[in-house]
Amino acid sequence: MNGENTRNKPLTRKDFLRYMALIAGAGVTLPQFVACEAKKDQYGHIQGRIYGASAAVGHKIREGGFAAPMHTETVDAVIIGSGVAGLSAARMLHHNGCHNYKILELEQHAGGNAGFGRNAFSAYPLGAHYLPLPNLENQPLLDLLQEAGILTGYTADCLPMYNETDLCYDPQERLFIHNRWQEGLVPQFGVGEAALAEFKRFFADMEKLRWQRGSDGLYAFDIPMARSSRDAAYLQLDNLCMKDYLQQQGYRSEELYWYLDYCCRDDFGAGIPVVSAWAGLHYFASRKGKSANADSAAVLTWPQGNGRLVQHLQQFSNNNLQTNGLAYKVTPQGREVQVDYFEVATGTTKRIVAKACIMATPQFVTQRLLPAGQYDHQFVYSPWLVANLTLDKLPESRGYPLCWDNVMYNSRSLGYVNAQQQSITQEAPEKQVLTYYLPLDHLSPADSRRYALGLSHAHWVKLITDDLETVHPGIHAQLRTIDVWVWGHGMIRPHTGFITSDAIAAARRSGYPNVFFAHSDLSGISIFEEAFYQGNNAALALLDYIRT
Amino acid sequence: MIKMVRPLEFLLLLSVFIIATCGLIYELVAGTLASYLLGDSITQFSTIIGAYLFSMGIGAYLSRFFRRELLSWFIQLEILVGLIGGISSAVLFLVFEHAASFRLVLYLLVGLTGILVGLELPLLMNILKNRYAFRDLVSRVFTFDYIGALLASIVFPLLLVPYFGLIRTSCFFGILNVVVAIVVCVKFREEVKWARYLQFKAVGVIVLLTGIFWWADKIMTFSESEAFRDPVIFSHSSPYQRIVITRSKLDLRLYLNGNLQFSSVDEYRYHEALVHPAMMYSPEHTRVLILGGGDGMAAREILKYPDVEIITLVDLDPSMTRLFRQSSMLAELNHHSLQSPKLQVINADAFQWLKTNKTLYDVAFVDFPDPGNYAVGKLYTTAFYRQLRHSLTDSSVIVVQSTSPFVAPKAFWCVDATLHDCGYHTQAYHTYVPSFGEWGYVMASPTGLVGHHHSLPAGLRYFAADVFPQMCQFTADMAKRPVLANHLNNQVLVQYFEDEWGKYQE
Repeated sequence: MNGENTRNKPLTRKDFLRYMALIAGAGVTLPQFVACEAKKDQYGHIQGRIYGASAAVGHKIREGGFAAPMHTETVDAVIIGSGVAGLSAARMLHHNGCHNYKILELEQHAGGNAGFGRNAFSAYPLGAHYLPLPNLENQPLLDLLQEAGILTGYTADCLPMYNETDLCYDPQERLFIHNRWQEGLVPQFGVGEAALAEFKRFFADMEKLRWQRGSDGLYAFDIPMARSSRDAAYLQLDNLCMKDYLQQQGYRSEELYWYLDYCCRDDFGAGIPVVSAWAGLHYFASRKGKSANADSAAVLTWPQGNGRLVQHLQQFSNNNLQTNGLAYKVTPQGREVQVDYFEVATGTTKRIVAKACIMATPQFVTQRLLPAGQYDHQFVYSPWLVANLTLDKLPESRGYPLCWDNVMYNSRSLGYVNAQQQSITQEAPEKQVLTYYLPLDHLSPADSRRYALGLSHAHWVKLITDDLETVHPGIHAQLRTIDVWVWGHGMIRPHTGFITSDAIAAARRSGYPNVFFAHSDLSGISIFEEAFYQGNNAALALLDYIRT
Repeated sequence: MIKMVRPLEFLLLLSVFIIATCGLIYELVAGTLASYLLGDSITQFSTIIGAYLFSMGIGAYLSRFFRRELLSWFIQLEILVGLIGGISSAVLFLVFEHAASFRLVLYLLVGLTGILVGLELPLLMNILKNRYAFRDLVSRVFTFDYIGALLASIVFPLLLVPYFGLIRTSCFFGILNVVVAIVVCVKFREEVKWARYLQFKAVGVIVLLTGIFWWADKIMTFSESEAFRDPVIFSHSSPYQRIVITRSKLDLRLYLNGNLQFSSVDEYRYHEALVHPAMMYSPEHTRVLILGGGDGMAAREILKYPDVEIITLVDLDPSMTRLFRQSSMLAELNHHSLQSPKLQVINADAFQWLKTNKTLYDVAFVDFPDPGNYAVGKLYTTAFYRQLRHSLTDSSVIVVQSTSPFVAPKAFWCVDATLHDCGYHTQAYHTYVPSFGEWGYVMASPTGLVGHHHSLPAGLRYFAADVFPQMCQFTADMAKRPVLANHLNNQVLVQYFEDEWGKYQE
């Protein structure tokens, strides 16, 4: 390994120097030599490894050449993919009395982008890590939260009340700007009057837009996004990028552009020159959540991120889940669907014959499984890096204390989330666990993907540690492990024109009466609410089909 | 006329000077330490000086039994004085927390040092008696002795205590003693028996003392003394907090992370006001819960009620409860409440512990540090009080210490509003604690606070039933104001607290 080479060479030289130093009797200068040598390999002590999607197994679909399945199983329904969409569909089947179904999952665990991990010190997210308060009209989602015990009830005036321990604890957000941490992510500290006024104007505009309705009576922006207005006045915003929109609106300040770029990269894995204005505005204007015991901007979060919701969803389909199962062919035949899959553990192929099938898979998979499927390259996926860092103690810099979300102004990364925020104990944790997010959008998605998959662990360590050193000098000495997850196809990217494109409209239509699609791809926005909505819809359509 | 002094004899006289300085320093260290740790400096100094001089007398008497190998014995003694004198203050600081009879250790060390120092001069005079005329000998030895004493008495208060601290001072002079031993040993090697063995021993002692000198900060942080008004007599960093105890003539103070927790002069006001109103209002008080309060003072007040059967004290920090149970001086302050068979100490995180607790308590005292940071702030949230409710009966009474309603009225009324938000009926009250200023509490109960159920124990110095209505009166500058309740997801209390105390301290 690369890391060993770099460690071996200085070691021998260090020994030599030490020897020389001793001979010379220059005991005083020895510590300086050691320190100097240590600096050369100052990240060498940081452990960890690279994880990520099982790309190698996944790519077998492309290569083909699977043996004919020897074993056949018959069920009512099969769901391919156990991300939030797939698990939501399974829950819906369960609640409607359909228990004879099977879920196929390529990875070892269910959860997809909402997956999570755990080490000796904390659980941590591997991707999505929070859920904003749902809109009051989004009853299915509110019901889900109530079922999970996160929503505890409603007040007399119908406002939901949330479990206090599931709401993000204060202090929530801070931004490192002008060499200190300030409260909140909107740049304030050392920011000029003009920029502050632009922020004020922007947020006032968004507040207006939040409650605007189109000519069809629907909200201009809503969640699920399918419930947004089809009014051309709003849809045409999809034809320009967020940056052009801001310029059209006369915004000038660097800080506002940074902030909105940060927001877009956070939600979509791409910045304002790429993301459509419709998607960018949807981020701000679609959320209308309210609660009796939290303000509208509050979020629900857990140490394991949205893994908490996955754990809840998964309990309905624990016995139906087949992990390490790579579906490679879906063949609709009359009133049957044959799903062929490769069982990674045994290396054998198997077939499931079902009355109907839900494909809760991203487009680049869906289209390869179906006969004569065509992957439309309008579907672009943002590659991501998520890293979980374990450290002795975060060396703090000036200003506001450690928050749940910690962002650095003008950094390529989105900063880090404190996985231990939702702890009620007084004791400082034995080791701190931080989840670091980096959208890989500096190159084209394909190039970024290739670049990311080519990097060694030592490279990631250097990249991440160097970034954090700028705000937490000396953090390298505190770091123990950095585990890295590279998500080559992290999330669908709502680039300019995509949401209103024919491609997405076509992808939503299934050419087969018994094959249903469920994935946040089909919304164009990768958020929990959309995946949940898509999963529920597909399940309801499937139930309709098999019962008629 | 005094004859020219030969180098070797001069060395011996110089050692008289050093021995005298060291001897007096050990005495001063012991006296200072005793008045730090036990208070009442007049008594401490006078008994220490008396005991020390008396021990020197014993030493002088014992010197007659040394007949042969005087020089070797002298070196031997030097090393021993260096060792015992050198480690004395470190030992005293270390045993202070643990030893029930600290005084015994103190006087034992003083006695031992005194005897050894008392032996030194007579021995030296016996060594020198063949080298000088008696008249010269007496004159020289005592001259050096008294000059040494003067030097010690001047540098001790002016240089050593402020810059070195006690542990390093005694180590330093211990090392000096041993260095004298080594130098004498080397210069007189022809006359000294067992020279090798002695040198070996001396080096060992020097290494030990240098070690203590080096790690003195670990044993006791002197730099901290500047941050406190009075001399620091104990300090300890636990994983949770820094515990510091200071002592002045009349007063003993406990600080946690630099914040005053009590002053022994007026803590009875604080603790009587914390405990007795709730005891008076609760229909029963068989089972009592204390959250925080590891100093045992609240427990002391509760134990004044004979019908209390069980007290559960939940404090995060085992070093706090150990300190206030084991140190005789501190246990005197809490009337040995932490040793009471009725009391069970649980060292756990209060929030976590409440989640697992199954016992219902009649009265609960919530005596946490002020909500000055987000971690402690969580112990003042609706989530916490809702969790606490599961450990209470419908008629239980709780009291929450709630910072100063004068300095931080919003923070104070925020605690009230937070309890109210959880459905408790509340009664805010306050009292005057001179070392704190105006201090506030919120009493609360799930079903309402009605009537007095109990009479108060005899012997209270501050609280009385007819005083309580006055304590419930708030003047306009402390009056109730509209504030938000404190939730985990807004932590407004920490913000109120920081704003108000920040302004006050500017």
